[in-house]
Formats: sequence, structure tokens, C-alpha cells
Amino acid sequence: MQRPEIRFAPSRFLNEIGEVEVKRAVSSCINCGMCASICPFGVHDRKAGFNRIAKPLSYLCIGHACEDEPFYCVDQCPRKALSLVENPLYRTIGDRRWTRDLILGTWKQAETGLPLTGLRYEIGDSGGGFDRIFFTFESAERGDAEERGMISTAINLNKRAGEQLKIEVPFYGGGMSFGSISLSVMLARAKAAQAWGTFTCTGEGGYPEPLRAYDDNMITQVATGLFGVSEETIQRVRIVELKYAQGAKPGLGGHLLGDKVTADVARMREAVPGCSLFSPFPFHSVYSVEDHEKHIDWIKTINPEALVSVKVSTARDVDMVAVGSYYAGAHIIHLDGSYGGTGAAPDIAKKNIAMPIEYAIPKVHAFLKEEGIRDKMTVIASGGIRTAYDAAKAIALGADGVALGTTELVALGCVRCGSCESSRGCPRGIATTDPELTRALDVDWGAQRLINLYASWRSTFVEILSKLGMRSVKELVGRYECLLHLDYLTEKEVRTD
Amino acid sequence: MPRKYNITVLPAPPRVPPPGKYVIVRSEECINCGRCTHVCIYGVHQRLEKDPRCLAEPESQRCKGCFRCVQECPRTALTLMDNETYTQLGDSYWTPEIITTTWYQAETGKVPVSGAGYAGPFSGSGFDGMWTDMSEIVRPTRDGIHGREYISTSVDIGGNVRAITFDDQGKIGVPLPRTRSVPLPIIFERPPFGRSEPVYAAVAKAAAALDTVMLVDAEEYCERSYAANLVPVFVAAEPGHARKELESCLKTAPMVEFTYDRAVLKVVADARSITPGSIISVRVPSGEAVEEIVAELVAGGVEVIHLCADRNGRTLESTESRFVTDMIRTVHRYLVHLKMRDRVTLVVSGGIALPEHVAKAVLCGADLTAIDVPLLLALGCQYCRDCLHGRACPVGLKDLDPDYGAQRIVNLMAAWRNQLLEILGAMGLREVRRLRGEVGRAIVCEEIQKETFDRIFVKEVFNHAKA
Repeated sequence: MQRPEIRFAPSRFLNEIGEVEVKRAVSSCINCGMCASICPFGVHDRKAGFNRIAKPLSYLCIGHACEDEPFYCVDQCPRKALSLVENPLYRTIGDRRWTRDLILGTWKQAETGLPLTGLRYEIGDSGGGFDRIFFTFESAERGDAEERGMISTAINLNKRAGEQLKIEVPFYGGGMSFGSISLSVMLARAKAAQAWGTFTCTGEGGYPEPLRAYDDNMITQVATGLFGVSEETIQRVRIVELKYAQGAKPGLGGHLLGDKVTADVARMREAVPGCSLFSPFPFHSVYSVEDHEKHIDWIKTINPEALVSVKVSTARDVDMVAVGSYYAGAHIIHLDGSYGGTGAAPDIAKKNIAMPIEYAIPKVHAFLKEEGIRDKMTVIASGGIRTAYDAAKAIALGADGVALGTTELVALGCVRCGSCESSRGCPRGIATTDPELTRALDVDWGAQRLINLYASWRSTFVEILSKLGMRSVKELVGRYECLLHLDYLTEKEVRTD
Repeated sequence: MPRKYNITVLPAPPRVPPPGKYVIVRSEECINCGRCTHVCIYGVHQRLEKDPRCLAEPESQRCKGCFRCVQECPRTALTLMDNETYTQLGDSYWTPEIITTTWYQAETGKVPVSGAGYAGPFSGSGFDGMWTDMSEIVRPTRDGIHGREYISTSVDIGGNVRAITFDDQGKIGVPLPRTRSVPLPIIFERPPFGRSEPVYAAVAKAAAALDTVMLVDAEEYCERSYAANLVPVFVAAEPGHARKELESCLKTAPMVEFTYDRAVLKVVADARSITPGSIISVRVPSGEAVEEIVAELVAGGVEVIHLCADRNGRTLESTESRFVTDMIRTVHRYLVHLKMRDRVTLVVSGGIALPEHVAKAVLCGADLTAIDVPLLLALGCQYCRDCLHGRACPVGLKDLDPDYGAQRIVNLMAAWRNQLLEILGAMGLREVRRLRGEVGRAIVCEEIQKETFDRIFVKEVFNHAKA
């Protein structure tokens, strides 16, 4: 497959947030251009035809690590007009799951398409789960370029009889509905998915017409609200997702608050503008595995070619649900853990209901193995996958691949302020359908950001696999011995590490 | 089907505006271009009314931290910082998040909803060390939200009969114990501080509006209206002087509570001799061997036990204090083991700060909970505890209008109840009574970690399994 081209895609906003701030005292600066000529990172720039040096692009600065370098502008400036200070914004941004470094790191990857190194770009500060699990690389050898070129990151989504459905990267876009996010974001996601030969999902809010061009890379969701679901939309796609539950609000139906139900959204969902939409929970036609099978048969009758994915959240008996889904005829079991979620969800549900994805994956993996059907079922994990490292850890714990939601939104410039649901929606023009706010995001720019992010993730995957001596990401599935958990290290090991 | 319980919510805006989460500072670099006024959708940035050439000071309190103005300002004149007044609210248990979310619910009666997933830590101690289960596909769930399916949150306080017998005429042949039903698994405890006449009045009025009960000091009981919703608390060690009060209380109060003392059973027997049918509760501070004390009281015929922890949910042992959930589980299990659990109603108080704490306390084995600090927070308290040091209350709780205060508490309980319904519905339960002691519906972090991760990360186990 021809890999899409990485192109520089800087922030949509004038002042990108960085770790430090480079300040130029305008009164002292003589615009000599020394700083612009020495800085290798492009912080200082004198645009062609201008006498004055442009305002420093502080976010590109590597900060205090630069101090000993010969190109340290603060020391080199003949007028001592430059200074380096901590950026107060850097302290404000981020939370325990998505630390400031993860947010800024994801922005950087989406801008440049290049992976970042350093622990702070690998884990967050949640104090558990992926943030305490690490790879144990036997050797730090990376292998040569040729070897790395041979490493495959492709996975197959259909393990049952019939045609294989290969995706080039072990991840695809999770369900985010029209209404929770804007059409531009949906289109950007679809474009990126097409470029990378993977998929993205419509969520439960219907299948907007402009997405038709991407039918081969779309997953359409049949959720409890059945918003915008028709036989025709099911026939268009290669994967149909039955959403039984979602990780952000396990045990509750989807929420779309009234303000976000604009005329367009209401038309798509066959609802009334301005009225909050709460999907029922559960499917009132499914109360047993037999009912579940009937549902899947219904999809298969309408579209016999399509793969059926079953999205469930991580209940205590999620392993049984996975096995039941296999016998009901599903191809993919999609486990949605409780730390993801992009739209509105009651705080109580987000925090308290269902178990973290880190426990659910090995539980399902082990149980499918015991039942002898692990090689017949594709396991996709989502809900709190923030970095390529998280994704690789999820795969090593037993998933085949992962689905991404929040991460993609962060790549598009989300700061996780958590106001997606209120009033007109996202103030940054991502999770909104407000006509004015939506204009803040250009489809091509968004697609490029996602293409870049995927490229960076793929590079990270290749690096991890090469360090583990593996040729394909498929080899990584359920390889517990590659992982260690800080809670399980003996005191001695902690000390030597 | 029982009559549907409904709580009437009316908006009750705060008397003192709550501190915003963020502070926006505009530096002198600002050229009054007004870009920020266009990009901010929350109205933080406005032009001065008197002089529209200038921008007004940012109204930080409205800021939601989206960084858009900061990132779009052509002069980089804006800075967004955490508001220290916000981050310094409360303490490590009563966190700023808990305090502000309680204020929000007391104002609006709405379930707090937000976007972008869960941003907090993986797990934590106490209530945060446990998740609640949900059902999907193979177990019927309940669509409780917005009353689409009816889920009952009512519980009974009082004793129980072990078996019903019938006489020759087919009538029930055993005396039935008196019980008091409360429509929520929540009763009101006396606030740990900040008590004043209007605060009392507001809580009592809210208790009456909600049809639950409120604990009050015995000496104050007689002076109050809403007698049917007040439970006087007597100090068991001093029964003599309160004999007359006790007699009158037993006739009117829905329940009477005695604080624990070695001789409490005698006091209870004495009270029973006055009015045999009254519901009597004994308040047991959680300490060493609390389960044995409880068992002894139950065996002695006490039908309600009120287990108290401190206001941060820590038990009161002198040596190693536990979290209240551990204590409830121990007591519940011990009573089940002695086949006594159904003879007693367990009320638990201490550290109940959020609706999920109610659900989790019940999951661990309590029948219902008593709340204290959340009542104060609903009234607008900032949990500064200045009043404990004799300083004036910054929000002036003493001048509270009791009607307004009662509405704030009613709103809070409406929001809590809806959240309880969400948790219960997700678990597929139709009534909160069924949740009691259902630890199978809890996912305890330590246990699930052991269950799933031991076979992965404990090297010996792993090697053994491989061989």
C-alpha cells in the first residue's frame, strides 16, 4: 500500500502552547537576526521582506535543555534581549489521564508526523493501568532500516470464514456521532482513514450524505436509539457495529443535550431540534444471547458481506459476553473501557461504572482462548488509549487492535476542557455542530493532522516491534512476557531499575 | 406499583458566587482589538460598557478553560491560570471538585454531565477503590433514567420478623414491628459544624419535603416543628435527666436514637417499657471490634444500628483506622454469618460526599446512609471551617433564608436520586433494597487486579502456567 504523505500541519490557532515561553524585550532587540540564524528549531524567524524579527514561536523551543548548546539564543543575543521563562499555560493544561505532555505531544505528532521519545510522552499520571505497565525490551537494538521496513503493522479484522479484511495499522476510529462532533471532523477522520487504509465509525447519529465517498472506510453503528439507521446505510458499509454499551457511560444510553440538536442533527436523527436525545438502554429487543444472535442475523440478512462488530463495555462478565457474541456470529468484539468517551456523560457513570479496559482485555483474551475460539474472533479495545504505547500495551495484553476517539480529537486541537456537551458545544470547533464554531476547522487540515498522527503511531509501533524482535504486530497479541507492571516488581527490581 | 416518588426541583442560585476554576489575566500588551470577544462563547471577554473602545476585565468566573482566547490573541496578552481560590477549597477529602459539584446540584437539581471522558486518577482509596458493575445483553437492565422504567429508591428503617404465622382466622399471628419508610436511602445527620437556627430549619424543612428524617439533639427536639421528620438523639449515659423528654419524644418521633454505652441495652429496654412499638436506634462509633458490639446489640433486640465514622470516612479505632467501606463489609458479613442480618437496619454515616458513595456503602452492606457535610455544602458552605475557630462564616450561613436553604437541599437530593437511578439501572436493579450487600456487583480494584493481573505479572505464577 502507498503510505500517505506526511505534511507539516501547524496549529489552527495563532499561539500554540508550549512548555516554555521565549520572551523578546522589544526595547532592547535591534533586529540583528542572530537568533533566527542560529536556532535550529525555527523559534525565531525573519520573514522574507521584513525588517523585524517575528514573534518567537515558543512552542518549538526545547527549553532549558538548550542551555548548554552553542545555539542557545538567550546567551547568543548580542543585546541580551531574550529570556526563557516557564509558560504559565503549560501548568494549567492537562489532567491526570491526559497530562500536559500527552496533550502537547499529541499536538506535536499531529503537526509533524514524527514520534516523540521520552517517558512523559508515553504515560499519563493516572497512577494505575497503562501508566504502571511497561515493555521489557530484551535489547535496545532497533534493527537496521531495511529490517524495520519489513515489519508489518497490518491486522486482519475478519478471522472467520470469508474474505479477509486487512487494515494497514492496528487501529481504527471509534464511533463518534454526527451531533456530538461536526461534519468537518467526521470528514477529516474519514479522509485520514481512507489514506491509511483503515476505518472510522459514524457513531449512532446517522450517516451524513457527504460521507458516501468514503463508504469503503466507514463503519456504521446500530445503537439503541437507531438514529438515522436504515437498511440502505447498513448496505453501504463493510463493517456494521452493534453498540450495546459505551465506555463513557456504561449501562446508560447515548446523551445528546438539547443545545446540540441543531436543525441538521435533528433531521439526520429524525428528531425535534432543541430536544435532548437520550438513547434507551439497553436494546429492548435483546435480553439474551439468542436475541443477540437474532440481531446479528438481521444485519447479515441486510448486508451479507459486512463484518459485524459488537461494541460492549467492560462489565464483570464481559468475557462471557465476548464468547456469546462469537456464537451469535459476530466477527469483532469491541471492548470499550470506562476512561474514554468524547461526548456528554454523567460524571457519576464515567467515574464509577464498569472496570478499566486494562483488566477487561486479558480477561476476554484468556476466556476466548480457553474456549478455543481466540483465533476466530477479533478483539478491539478502546476507552483510554492515548498513545501508541497504550495501544501496543493493549495488544500485548490480548487485543488485536484498538479504536481511537479522544486521541483523534486531541490531534485536531482538543484541550480536554470537558465542555463538549454544554451550550453550543466545543469552543474549539471540534465537538460541536454550531455553524459558526464548525468553521474553525478545515477538513483537509484535519485530515492531514490525523494522517500525521497515524504515521507517528505507526513509526512507534515499528520501533516497539523491532525492539521486541518481532516481524508483525500480530505476533504481539497476548504476549504477557513482554510487559511488566510496577505493582509487581520486587523491591530489588525497583531499585536496580 | 407504589406511587411514583417525585422531587420538585426549583432553581436556587448561589448567594455568594462560587469561585471559577480559572483566572484569566490580561496584560498591558492588549491593544483592545476585541478578537477575544469574538472567539469566547462563554462571554468572558466583553467591551467596557462605559467606553467600548476598551475591553473590560475578563469575567474569569465564566471561563471553562478552553484556551481559545489565549491562543488567538494577536498580542499574546492573555494568560489562563488555575484559580487558587478554587484549588484551595476544602481539603484532600472534601476536594474542590466535590464542593463545586455539590453547589451545582444544589442550585440546579441536575445530574452533572461533562464531556471528554474521565480525567481523574485510575483508582484511589476508600470509595474510589471500587467500581460498580453493569449489565449488558445477557442480564436484563433497567432504563431508569427519566423514569422510563420505575426503580424504587425507598428503604425501611426498623425491625423485621423472621417468620409470619397465621392464626385460625387467617390473620397474622405475630406482632409486626413498626417501620419507617424513607423514599431515599439517605437520612440527614447533624452537621459537624456551622450549626445555627436557620441551618437547622432549612435541613428540617428539606427532610419534611423529601419525607426523610433528620437527627437532632434531644434537648432541641421539642422546640421544633416537623416532629414527624425529626429523630432525637439521646446520650445513653445520662438517661435519668432526660426521662421526661424521652417519654414525650417516644410518642411523637418516628424513631429515637441513643448513643452507645455499655449499659445501652438497659436504656433501650427502659424505653421499650414506655412505648413498646417505637423504633429505637443505637449509634455506635466505629472502633475496635465494632462488629461484635453490633451483634450483641442486635441479639439484645436493637432493630436499628447507626454506624458512625468521622467526616472523612475514617473509622475511629485508636490504632489502625480503616475506611468506612471496609467496616461496613466486616459488620455486614459478621451479621450474615450469625444469621442476624435481616433483623437490623444498618445506617452508616461519615464520608458520604457523593451519590456514588451512597450506592457503594449500600453495596458493601449498609441499608442506608446518613449525610452531614453535603447538607452544609448545599446551603453554600465553602468548607473553610472558619466557624470552628470562632471566625465569621464567609457566606453568612446564619442569615440564610430557611426556605431557600431547604430548596437547595431538595435540589441536591433530586440530583443524587437521579444518579442513584443511573447506577441502579446500569446494574439492572429495580430497587435499592436489592443492592444491599451485593458485593458481586462491585468491582473492587484490589480484587480485580489480583484476579486478572496476577497470572500475567507474577513471574512464578506465569512460568508455572506456561509449564
